[in-house]
Amino acid sequence: MSLASSILTIAVWEMNRSMTTMGRNVLPLAAGLLILLGLVTAFAAQSGVHMQDGMYSIGINDPDVARIVAPDSRFAVYLDDRAALRESRLAYDIVILNGEVYAADTDKGRAALKTLERDYEAYVSHVAAGEPDLFAAYPLWIDLQYVKSEIDFLATQNGQQVGAPAGVRVPPTPSGPVEVVTLPPSAMPISEDDLRKHLEAGSGHPLERYTGIVTGDSAMGQFRTPSELSAPLPFDAIILVFVFIFPLYFTSQFFMMSVMNERVGRAGEALLSTPVRPTAIIVGKALPYFTIMLLIATAITLFAGAPATILLPLIPVILFFLANALIIGMAARSFKELSFVSIFFSTLATSYLFFPTVFANTHIISIISPLTLVVLDIQGDGFTVMQYVYSTVLFFATSIILFYAGTVNFREERLFSEKTLASRLVDFISGGIGRGHPHFSLFLLAAFTIPFVFMVQMLALVLFFNIPMPLSLILLTVSAAFIEEFAKSIGLYAVARERPGFLTAKNLLLGAVAIGLGFLAGEKLLLFATLAQITESIFGSILFLSLQVLWMPLLLHIAGVLVTGGFLLLWGRRAYGPGLVVASAVHSLYNLHFLSGALL
Amino acid sequence: MNARRIAIVAKKELFGLSSEKTIVFAILLQVFIAMFSSFLMVGLTAMYDPEAIEGYSTVTYGVGYAGAESPLIDEFAKRDDLVLHRMDLDAALAALRDRTVAAVVYIPDTPPDAKEPVMVTLYLIQNDLQSSVINVKLKEVLQGYEKELREVRADRMTTFPVGLDFPESGGGENFFEFVYGLLIPLLVLLPAIVSAALIIDLITEEYQRQTLETLISTPVTLAEMVWGKIAACEVLVPVQAGVWLLLLGFNGIAVDNTAAILLHASVGGLSLILISALVALYYRERTSAQFIFSTALVVVFLLIMAVPYNPLNLMVRLAVGTAGPVHWLILALVAGVTVLLGWTATTYARRIEKITQVAR
Repeated sequence: MSLASSILTIAVWEMNRSMTTMGRNVLPLAAGLLILLGLVTAFAAQSGVHMQDGMYSIGINDPDVARIVAPDSRFAVYLDDRAALRESRLAYDIVILNGEVYAADTDKGRAALKTLERDYEAYVSHVAAGEPDLFAAYPLWIDLQYVKSEIDFLATQNGQQVGAPAGVRVPPTPSGPVEVVTLPPSAMPISEDDLRKHLEAGSGHPLERYTGIVTGDSAMGQFRTPSELSAPLPFDAIILVFVFIFPLYFTSQFFMMSVMNERVGRAGEALLSTPVRPTAIIVGKALPYFTIMLLIATAITLFAGAPATILLPLIPVILFFLANALIIGMAARSFKELSFVSIFFSTLATSYLFFPTVFANTHIISIISPLTLVVLDIQGDGFTVMQYVYSTVLFFATSIILFYAGTVNFREERLFSEKTLASRLVDFISGGIGRGHPHFSLFLLAAFTIPFVFMVQMLALVLFFNIPMPLSLILLTVSAAFIEEFAKSIGLYAVARERPGFLTAKNLLLGAVAIGLGFLAGEKLLLFATLAQITESIFGSILFLSLQVLWMPLLLHIAGVLVTGGFLLLWGRRAYGPGLVVASAVHSLYNLHFLSGALL
Repeated sequence: MNARRIAIVAKKELFGLSSEKTIVFAILLQVFIAMFSSFLMVGLTAMYDPEAIEGYSTVTYGVGYAGAESPLIDEFAKRDDLVLHRMDLDAALAALRDRTVAAVVYIPDTPPDAKEPVMVTLYLIQNDLQSSVINVKLKEVLQGYEKELREVRADRMTTFPVGLDFPESGGGENFFEFVYGLLIPLLVLLPAIVSAALIIDLITEEYQRQTLETLISTPVTLAEMVWGKIAACEVLVPVQAGVWLLLLGFNGIAVDNTAAILLHASVGGLSLILISALVALYYRERTSAQFIFSTALVVVFLLIMAVPYNPLNLMVRLAVGTAGPVHWLILALVAGVTVLLGWTATTYARRIEKITQVAR
């Protein structure tokens, strides 16, 4: 049987099996729940959200004023006469006496006051919208225009402030050439009726603004009154996470479960005894889920009216989810472990995808997340091939390596063993180390860890980006060193555990050289291809210090492995932790030395 | 039903949780989230209320001003955090791109008492954190200008709103509504959802690994086993929720009526756990059970939110100290539903057991 045809067989089989187990029992109930969901949504839309009802108490002596507050369920309104309210004013967050507002001097009182101010604004707008002369009630309209400005990674390093300079009384002179712009027109291009309609619709609860982001309601365009001027959302991307990433993650859970089910009660034994290769089994099992996820993403894209090109950056994300689902499904010992590990993984992956997008349009670092490309594309800016490669290469590389690790370990003795999570993962790694040529395997393994190391380091970079300068540098140096030392030593640790006799002084030296070479090769390969922009900044120079001179980093990488390996050789596996700490310390000192050389 | 046997099963499940070190992942997760906490706090608050972001900025911003003279200049002069620079529009926009000014306004020469509106053009940097801050500051300035223009055109108006005199609010950040109105109920709800998902894992695993028969051949009945698992999951709800509230306390967020909130969380959590136990007993297979449960969860959650005086709202009221004794009534109501669910789960487990025994 050829590979392609066996993949197809497995895919069809997987499809049929999940459809029959899911179909018979689940679909009727799921359909019922969907109908219920529709009914409940309609009910909720009518009844409104009652989460914050009665948060604030407000005492009022004028029924007319009480009518202003009445629509806002956050206020519990008490009508009473002036004297009684004055008496018991401490019981209220706000008291309004004859149009005069008094707020309690607490956080709660201030929050209530702010909410009341907004309600009052809405009320004033509502009254004004009924005026026959609209432009007497709304004399000022603002045409909001956005200007693009991107700062590069070197900006802060060169002393350029990200914000506008403070306290300068002299008008600044632009550094670049000045383009001539046409003056904006002074007449309102939208008819009075449309404006009135727009004003009467009004705005409500703060959370309502999010409902319009994906579908986009911009009949009014960029025109608004001062009170409608709301801060642009710097965090729109979280909506995209929910809309695009969450359904994909949810679907990948089914694949994870399908892999896990093969292991429960040795159900997959029959499958393994067939002549079908593990590659075909894994690819065949993953194929239906990949297709479904792609279809879901396409459906969402069409529904949201976004450009079809946003599917391109989503493909590596889909692959990444599936690859991780495979490994988690193969490694988890029980269902609850599966749940916790997958929740943990999803949080990490979501942060990696989401946090950089906050800096979309402002900072080049944001492109490490494919989601930024989605943001850029939806804005209509598009992305270049180079940017695509840059932001997706790590996702592609890690997915391929994880799938490879899954295929190598898709064997009886690995799938059905009852070991702890950590030792299973070590098993998976040692499964990739061939007995015939261990040093070559170590070389390859070290090179393969590079994408993961970069990913974790990128996450650290994003994380430490907000901390003030000297501290963030030190934290980054130490964590980068630790991550690298951990990645390099993991292969050696796996071998030492599986074959304790292997770890001799000679083999350690050879292995260290192999790992050092592999690490360097992988690093350079990936760096030269993509990350040139980041490596130019001061942050980049810590992470990728090794680019300048070749033999120094090689020696460093070898020395690091030798330190950890030496601890393992002398004091056994228990010394792995201390060895790792010492190696990281050496590595950090080296980095700091070079860095201070660069800084001085 | 034997309480001692239920306790044994519960102890076994809790021991399994700690020996598998899955709990380590839960702790790691909390630490990880805590690492981002300051970022999250700013970010989430800004998402809930973008104007809160103004409180983070103490910087003075330069604003480019182009076009005709207007009272807006006086409005700017009143503020010490905004500096106005009179420039040409071309130069101002170039400066904006260089980020040497934070915003640019262009004023046309429309007279204040004209028939048509005054159309101010406001230029900001796209999708930028700083733009959000400057936006809030400019909004206040522009509202002042609007007020002035309204006074000029007041004779053309027919109705007037009821006047309210507000005290000086002092502005600044205000986390209150976000923290108490959204964060606290969600943090308290989260452990209940985690526990409800956990019981599906625990029950379906017995079926799928076929370990159930061994268990049932001991004196333990199916109902006792299910209740043991429910007990293990239920214990985790107030503990986790309590830890969240404690952490909030460390961050200076005082929560009133902690005990009552935890009581609501435990009772509400128990009913969620019972629902998912029923789903798990019905499907006996994790994928289907989790799928149905997560869909059902959305329905239940939406329904609850749409009802006034729902448990989540009561938690908010309790946390801010505005809940009356009515919350005991609601608690009793939820407890009643929970007892009903518990009875259903017990009867259902007994029936399953009888059927399997007959089948044998």
